[in-house]
Amino acid sequence: MAVHETLYEVMRQHGITRRSFLKFCSLTAAGLGMGPEFAGKLAHALETKPRTPVIWLHGLECTCCTESFIRSGNPLAGDVILSMISLDYDDTLMAAAGHQAEELLEQTIEKYDGQYVLACEGNPPLNEDGMYCIQGGIPYVEKLKHMADHCKAIVAWGSCASWGCVQAAKPNPTRAVPIHKVIRDKPIVKVPGCPPIAEVMTGVLTYMIAFDRLPPLDRQGRPLMFYSQRLHDKCYRRPHFDAGQFVERFDDEGARKGYCLYKVGCKGPTTYNACSTVEWNDGLSWPVKSGHGCIGCAENDFWDKGSFYSAVTTAGFSAGAEATADKVGGVLAGAAAIGVAAHAAASVVSHMTGKQSEESSNG
Amino acid sequence: MASTVTPNGFSLDDSGQRVVVDPICRIEGHLRIEVNLDESNTIRNAVSTGNMWRGLEVILKGRDPRDAWAFVERICGVCTGVHALASVRTVEDALGIDIPRNANSIRNLMMLSQYTQDHLVHFYHLHALDWVDVVSALNADPAATSQLQQSISSWRNSSPGYFRDVQNKLKRFVESGQLGPFANAYWGSDAYRLPAEANLMAVAHYLEALDFQKEIVKIHTIFGGRNPHPNWIVGGVPCSINVDQVGATGTVHMTWLNMVSDIINQSIEFIDKVYIPDLKAIASFYKDWGYGGGLAGKNMLSYGDFPLIANQWDNESLALPAGAIINGDLSTVHEVDTRDLEQIQEFVNHSWYSYDDESRGLHPWEGVTEPNFELGPNLKGTKTNIQEIDEGAKYSWLKAPRWKGHAMEVGPLSRFVIAYALGREDVKELVDSTLSELGLPLPALFSTLGRTAARGLECTWSAHKMREVFDDMMANLKAGDVATANMDMWEPSTWPGDVKGVGMVEAPRGALGHWIHIKDRKIENYQAIVPSTWNASPRDPAGNIGAYEASLLGTPLVNAEQPLEILRTIHSFDPCLACASH
Amino acid sequence: MSSTTAASGPGTSSLKPVYVYEAPVRIWHWTHAISIIVLSITGYLIANPLPALHGEASNHFMMGYIRMIHFIAGYVFAIGFAVRIYWAFVGNRFSRELFIPPVWSREWRGHLMHKIKFNLFLTRKMEKTVAHNPLAQVAMWFFNVLVGLFMVVSGFALYGEGLGVGSWADRWFGWLIPMMGSSMEVKMWHTLGMWLLIVFAIIHIYMAVRSDIMGRESCVSTIIGGWRYWKDDQP
Ligand code: HEM
Ligand code: HEM
Ligand code: NFV
Ligand code: SF4
Ligand code: SF4
Ligand code: F3S
Ligand SMILES: [Mg+2]
Repeated sequence: MAVHETLYEVMRQHGITRRSFLKFCSLTAAGLGMGPEFAGKLAHALETKPRTPVIWLHGLECTCCTESFIRSGNPLAGDVILSMISLDYDDTLMAAAGHQAEELLEQTIEKYDGQYVLACEGNPPLNEDGMYCIQGGIPYVEKLKHMADHCKAIVAWGSCASWGCVQAAKPNPTRAVPIHKVIRDKPIVKVPGCPPIAEVMTGVLTYMIAFDRLPPLDRQGRPLMFYSQRLHDKCYRRPHFDAGQFVERFDDEGARKGYCLYKVGCKGPTTYNACSTVEWNDGLSWPVKSGHGCIGCAENDFWDKGSFYSAVTTAGFSAGAEATADKVGGVLAGAAAIGVAAHAAASVVSHMTGKQSEESSNG
Repeated sequence: MASTVTPNGFSLDDSGQRVVVDPICRIEGHLRIEVNLDESNTIRNAVSTGNMWRGLEVILKGRDPRDAWAFVERICGVCTGVHALASVRTVEDALGIDIPRNANSIRNLMMLSQYTQDHLVHFYHLHALDWVDVVSALNADPAATSQLQQSISSWRNSSPGYFRDVQNKLKRFVESGQLGPFANAYWGSDAYRLPAEANLMAVAHYLEALDFQKEIVKIHTIFGGRNPHPNWIVGGVPCSINVDQVGATGTVHMTWLNMVSDIINQSIEFIDKVYIPDLKAIASFYKDWGYGGGLAGKNMLSYGDFPLIANQWDNESLALPAGAIINGDLSTVHEVDTRDLEQIQEFVNHSWYSYDDESRGLHPWEGVTEPNFELGPNLKGTKTNIQEIDEGAKYSWLKAPRWKGHAMEVGPLSRFVIAYALGREDVKELVDSTLSELGLPLPALFSTLGRTAARGLECTWSAHKMREVFDDMMANLKAGDVATANMDMWEPSTWPGDVKGVGMVEAPRGALGHWIHIKDRKIENYQAIVPSTWNASPRDPAGNIGAYEASLLGTPLVNAEQPLEILRTIHSFDPCLACASH
Repeated sequence: MSSTTAASGPGTSSLKPVYVYEAPVRIWHWTHAISIIVLSITGYLIANPLPALHGEASNHFMMGYIRMIHFIAGYVFAIGFAVRIYWAFVGNRFSRELFIPPVWSREWRGHLMHKIKFNLFLTRKMEKTVAHNPLAQVAMWFFNVLVGLFMVVSGFALYGEGLGVGSWADRWFGWLIPMMGSSMEVKMWHTLGMWLLIVFAIIHIYMAVRSDIMGRESCVSTIIGGWRYWKDDQP
């Protein structure tokens, strides 16, 4: 094996000047919401650390986390893949195939036992002994566990790896489960979203590599730096929400003026993600900005919370007969009112017949 | 089995050495290919196994049809948006909803930009390394590379210094010993034919295309809020347009429209100055590698797409026409009726599903998705460690779709051949000029290289088409029509109780259909037949083999240990297994 | 609402009235009732906002006010709840009944069964109750203690989302969100909780008025004045 080079050396070799390297550091720092002193630290870290091997596995998924990743503008995905990390395995992008590809997994374990980052996109199904996702003839869940055994830390890309996502929506026919349900002895950083924002993905990776530690996480294992606020908290349509100015249906007057999308189902008030601040595709737009409410794609089980077009309290009690809390409650309250009325009527009848019988027995 | 002839005319012989390639990398999803080689290392039997299933059709049951697009969009993030579009079209078809003109233009623009980006990424990042030897680029002469570049196009990055820089980067990368995604490939194989300079040029464009592709999809970001997985709605598109009234910047406004126009120009430039010249340059070195035809030129299908007149689905309106070609007869283009219960059907006797009667096929409106993982008696290995699959039994997570009983090939090549056969001038011109430049006859198209070439031609076609559609939309806006959604039938209370619909899209990889049955305002049944389901199809009860399997037959391998030729041909279809099985 | 009315209260019985609801309990009862009404109206409007207003956003603050009223009433509800718990420790013996239905007492269970039968018209015998009748006690325990507590915890968990990670509300109540799965889930149950309280209120008010008319002891006046009177002399 050749001598390790630092990330900075590799970047220099790739023709990146020190000036643009430092610019990259300060942009990254700003992207993470940190000050200029952080940029200095980042630069220092990148100058002294060797490239970290990353093994990127794919389970049941749609691969749009990878697609999102390669949209990263800052840093560019190409720079991440070729200069900042060593992407030693990723079946979507790697040149090798078949057993030559699978050999690379064992080579990585041999060379970097306990040192590589395991990036997981998609998730393993458990039904049918795992054979709803087969790789090299064996169940994906076996490959995942094997690679997890030797890794340093796991990054769970997207809502699939973090929560289960669409294949785990009711009735979850393959019993697809998030990574933390099968790997319990390794640190896991969840980067949810269906898919996550490109710069959030590269931001998390860069942080881990630059500082050689996991980013601070919230109660559910998500990096605080990107997932500590709801979209609603920083939505540019928020003044319309507070004012009570809503889009009532798509393409109405309010829609053309950019009113709040709450009434057409926006889940921004219950969704933790960085869309309203970082935005998508080089900060160009995000779902709400282009007129569709947030569907809550970074949230646990967002598929099973009922229609994407009704206000926040819709609940999928079951995939089939879903009902809103308001509907259920309204029915209960109606039933209570009817019950009370019936009971009152019965009481009157009972009271009168009771009087009669009392009278007759007394008399 | 030893040796047989399939009803669709292919000889199979499973007696020789069995070679297994699993995983096939540089595709979407999980695919396994097994082949049998004769003594001369020529492929005599091929088996395509879809290695994954998620159950979207099962998951959709009972849900709100207006939500379905978001679920099915997650069938695939590579051809992102195409399933969502098929879904809203299906629901609109079932409910009889017409969409506004602008919505139609925006949907067309989004799909055309999808073609442009998806084809570009496929060519450079998923397919090129089958033809381009990265390691050989180290030996190139940068000055000669510069000359080569300047001789084929006027692309700006063409100086000797530029290529020297790229080469130096590559050199240091290789010397670092951390080869990353380039490790352990078939470098140095005799099957690679490009001179070192062409390899270096292609490597430079690999990197440039990786940076550029993310610009194209910004059209999705503007109209759909993000990419991958932009947003859609039944009845139109979710974005409103406000070009000159109060609050314009809260929605799609002039600046964004200008940006779309800009992206279209940049895309046209990149495709025409980088992709197409590279494609032709590479092809000129592999002209005599004529393998990989299979069903190409024989049985091809397209549903047609890009209605230039909103809500009109005939070949008068469709920019890419619909039709089917059977048994290689290009003089007759058959009409395809996706509602006819006898035309499109799916079979499962070689698929990991069960039907009551597996000798019969089911039209998607009557479709059943009931998983049944079961391996044949000739399996080598165990249930959870498959060494060699038994293709005599069930062997794939894909169903086997058939049109009037025929296995069909779908994709850019099929679309272009059908358009060509129907005499579409725009397509004819592209095809004819390319063939004459390469000095090849029309039948040369029916090959691995033809598939790859058609994709490139379609990429430039779609980039230019975007300009046309965009200008048309601007004219409509100028005329004062800014509507983007028809909400008349939005409320489920306005819907009939029991309806069926079908929605078609020509996705980057080919003909995509979604079929829905809506009962009591909920999804009663939802079925998708996806381009890669057609192409990667397993066998059917009659024994017809699908497009992947057919295309591999007869191909000689230079080295059985390095089955590069298998990758080439399979990659030429741009496989998507998450799509295929869903 | 002063306890002096007790001595001269109505009643046709010679049995001595009992002082059941001390002033703090009565005050709490009515602030509680009012805060629930306010919370339900504003909560409903948060989930189902009024028709859109037009004009400049900066000229309106409709949703803002609705939410603000909800949060103020939420504080009233929560603090009242806390005070009421405190009073259970220092108040008279009836003040504890709301929190601890004596399910372990065979006698109490007997009374409960009787009340159920009575309300289903299976028996005509009416028992006297000094404080809560057992059935009302069970209902109140479920709706007012359990659901009420849930509304406070879930309400402040949601409130903590607005205050932000690390805020007091997030630290004290934020754990509920991952426990229930997601913030969407919490909102849904918070809304269902509202409907449960509305169901309770309907039945509760009906039962109170009914008992007043048909029962053998005072009821509505008791929660107003605190004293329980008897309508007859039988045991
Ligand atoms: C009887 C008690 C309560 C009732 C009936 C009630 C009712 C509701 C309802 C119906 C909603 C709308 C939920 C939705 O949008 O789906 C809501 C939201 C909310 N409630 Fe309550 N609530 C109660 C107590 C509280 C308390 C004690 C607090 C604590 C401050 C609170 C804080 C909130 C918050 C923060 C929201 C979310 C508001 C928003 O997102 O704009 N609630 N409540
Ligand atoms: C017009 C409205 C109301 C009337 C007439 C009313 C009447 C009464 C009466 C008569 C009692 C005493 C019952 C007994 O001793 O068996 C009582 C107790 C109680 N009520 Fe109400 N009530 C009203 C509204 C409410 C509301 C809206 C709530 C809350 C949802 C509520 C919660 C309670 C509770 C928790 C107690 C038990 C007090 C304790 O033991 O501390 N009440 N109410
Ligand atoms: N096959 C397929 Fe797709 C495409 N193009 C879908 O319809 O790739 Ni994911
Ligand atoms: S999280 Fe969503 S976007 Fe990512 S792979 Fe899963 S389904 Fe696709
Ligand atoms: S559009 Fe959505 S996120 Fe923005 S303010 Fe309205 S509800 Fe909140
Ligand atoms: S749907 Fe997802 S992309 Fe952002 S706006 Fe909502 S979290
Ligand atoms: Mg299907």
